[in-house]
Amino acid sequence: MEVIEFHLDPSSGVATYLQLVQQVHQALQLGLLEPGDRLPTAAQVVASLAINPNTVLKAYRDLEREGLVRARPGLGTFVVGQLPRTDPAAQEKFRRSMSTWLRSAREAGLAIEEIEAIYRTAVRNCLTEGVA
Amino acid sequence: MTAALEASRLGKRYGGKWALSDCSLSIPTGRVVGLVGPNGAGKSTLLHLAVGLLAPSAGTISVLGARPGSGPEALARVGFLAQDSPTYDRLTVAAHLQMGRWLNPAWDDEFASSRISELELDVRQRAGTLSGGQRAQLALTLAVAKRPELLLLDEPVASLDPLARREFLSTLMEIVASRQVSVVLSSHLIADLERVCDYLVLLVSGRVAVSGDVDSLLASHRRLSGPRRDPSTMPGNLMVIEASHAVRQSTIVVRTDGPIIDPAWTVTPLTLDDLVLAYMRQARDGAGAPVSRLAMAP
Amino acid sequence: MTRFAWVQTRPQTLFAAAALAAFALVAAITGVHLSHLFHSLVAHCHIGCALANQQFLSHDHFMDRTLSIVARVVPALLGMFWGAPLLTRELETGTFRLVWTQTVSRTRWTITKLVMGALGTVLIAGLLTLTITWWYRALDPLASNQYGVFDRRDVVPIGYALFGFAAGALIGAIVRRTVPAMATTLGVFIFARVAVQSWVRPHLLTPVTHSESLGSADQFGIASLNGGAPTVVAQGSGPPSSWTLSTHLLTAAGQPASLAQRSAFVRDYCPSLANRPVGSIPGPGLHHAVAVPTPANGASQACMDKAAHAFRLAVSYLPGDRYWTLQWLEAAVFVGLALLSGIGCFWWVTRRTN
Repeated sequence: MEVIEFHLDPSSGVATYLQLVQQVHQALQLGLLEPGDRLPTAAQVVASLAINPNTVLKAYRDLEREGLVRARPGLGTFVVGQLPRTDPAAQEKFRRSMSTWLRSAREAGLAIEEIEAIYRTAVRNCLTEGVA
Repeated sequence: MTAALEASRLGKRYGGKWALSDCSLSIPTGRVVGLVGPNGAGKSTLLHLAVGLLAPSAGTISVLGARPGSGPEALARVGFLAQDSPTYDRLTVAAHLQMGRWLNPAWDDEFASSRISELELDVRQRAGTLSGGQRAQLALTLAVAKRPELLLLDEPVASLDPLARREFLSTLMEIVASRQVSVVLSSHLIADLERVCDYLVLLVSGRVAVSGDVDSLLASHRRLSGPRRDPSTMPGNLMVIEASHAVRQSTIVVRTDGPIIDPAWTVTPLTLDDLVLAYMRQARDGAGAPVSRLAMAP
Repeated sequence: MTRFAWVQTRPQTLFAAAALAAFALVAAITGVHLSHLFHSLVAHCHIGCALANQQFLSHDHFMDRTLSIVARVVPALLGMFWGAPLLTRELETGTFRLVWTQTVSRTRWTITKLVMGALGTVLIAGLLTLTITWWYRALDPLASNQYGVFDRRDVVPIGYALFGFAAGALIGAIVRRTVPAMATTLGVFIFARVAVQSWVRPHLLTPVTHSESLGSADQFGIASLNGGAPTVVAQGSGPPSSWTLSTHLLTAAGQPASLAQRSAFVRDYCPSLANRPVGSIPGPGLHHAVAVPTPANGASQACMDKAAHAFRLAVSYLPGDRYWTLQWLEAAVFVGLALLSGIGCFWWVTRRTN
């Protein structure tokens, strides 16, 4: 029995290997995975999801680069690191300020779609700045 | 490193009609290649040329550095699963395995028997009474147990129901994970292959429309939408693949190496499906830019 | 490859072997009985031997018929059901894509299939013709002419079968559909048999020709051919157990006598017969000839005597001792055709098939 099982959301538009990485991140954040746990082998993931083994290996390589897992030849890939659990208080703080912002946008007469477009553009600009 | 499959100006003519023409491509080893294209695009022809069932009418093709079908050595290195997985209806599953054992010096009997028992196939059953999915699995087992370095699969899942399709691809991916084998599999539906292939070759009307690593392709293509604009005035680092125009808005699929800075555009990533469709339309309508300029004229 | 080719052809081979065994069993039982009959009826006869022979020859009419049909049909069947589907079934069902991508070159595959099929064909046809020839071992020497059953005895049926098989394989490789290939094979087989029988076999060996006086001919008289003017006609044959290829009239000088010359003879020397209405059917052998009824007087006899001096009859025939040479030659012709078909098939499969 494996510690975690991967699943895919084909409609998410997120690359398959990224979905795997994110699921490991989430499992670490939620405490489902702990150091010493063994991740499913590439063959197991491949058999259950019918995906390319290179995709699994790519996800595991990314995780290894982040220092979260380590591959031991012949044994498997093991969790070695931990992600800082997000501070619930911090999350709550940003959620509240976002709500305030949203309310004021609604009061200013913006439609939901407009608000979403603004949000997306802002996110993209942030990320583009990061890349460039 | 030797390419898994290398074609140079390859062409195949049936009578007066070219099923494949001027096809040049190079597929690296160690990949799972999706050979995609509409029906009649020349996918089967290309695969048959690659396995030596056909001889080229023009150009050259080499598979793992050898001329396909040039002799037992070349045949031994390539496994082939033909469309609709042909098997001998009147021979039993066991007889098919026997055939594999007799006709392939490198035959992996252990693999073949364990696969057959995993599939829960009765070895005494005649192949003609197997379901489509079982037959495909049997044919795949035969193709893999000869220990090829390259596995060519012609529309392996086209005739299978969704469950059999999923099981077939799972089996295939397990094989890829556990054995050193490059795979080329064709389909007229990219959706069949999206999960499994990491390299794409798109054939349209007998020519290669686009080919490359799937992740790089996805990373380098974007859909831009914004105020109407002549695609020929786009910056030089953007290659226009497809452009469509409404009265005030233009939607353009571009290929680019860098980020798109222009704030006028709303930029969205493409799915593999969108990307394939864009290139298919481009191939159908001729080169993208001149046509879209015509569309701008009125 | 040999083992796999055997697995593929095992069902047909076993079926053919079983049919052959059953056939041989029936032939053996009736053949032994026949042999018994020969000893009691014919071998020690002293008087009325002709009648005894006749009785013996017509004893097992049913078996005789059956064997004649089997001997003629089996080579064609081998071509249709063994040769034609050999490659066609693979091409039609697409299994060639499976087998040609195993670690066996197409060259080896084709040669193995052809050679194994050819060996099987030769074996089956050989045993069959052996059985049939054995069954007739007592009857044939008594029958009037060994050439009459030339195509149903000894080695030629093997040649026919081998040709049927190879032609079937070639046609199948080209046509690529089993049923049309079988039908075409049958057509080609029948054509080849008829063509060789009518146009090749008579020319395989140089015949012996001898001329004799009209008086010693089997039949000779005045007749109207195809409704033409009455003319001198004659029919002769070579020695017993020979095969008569042709007979024709010569003038006294030894030149072939034309129809005009022969009609002129009747007009000049037998005026009483020249204008008589034609009637009555002539004896066997004179096809399309209608005898002119001779008036019951000496005029016709005198005319006949004159004709006997004016013409000679030339007969071309193959003597009985050339029988085996002709058997081997005709078998060789068909083996040659089979080889050509086999090479054609090999070429087609390895170079042309796609």
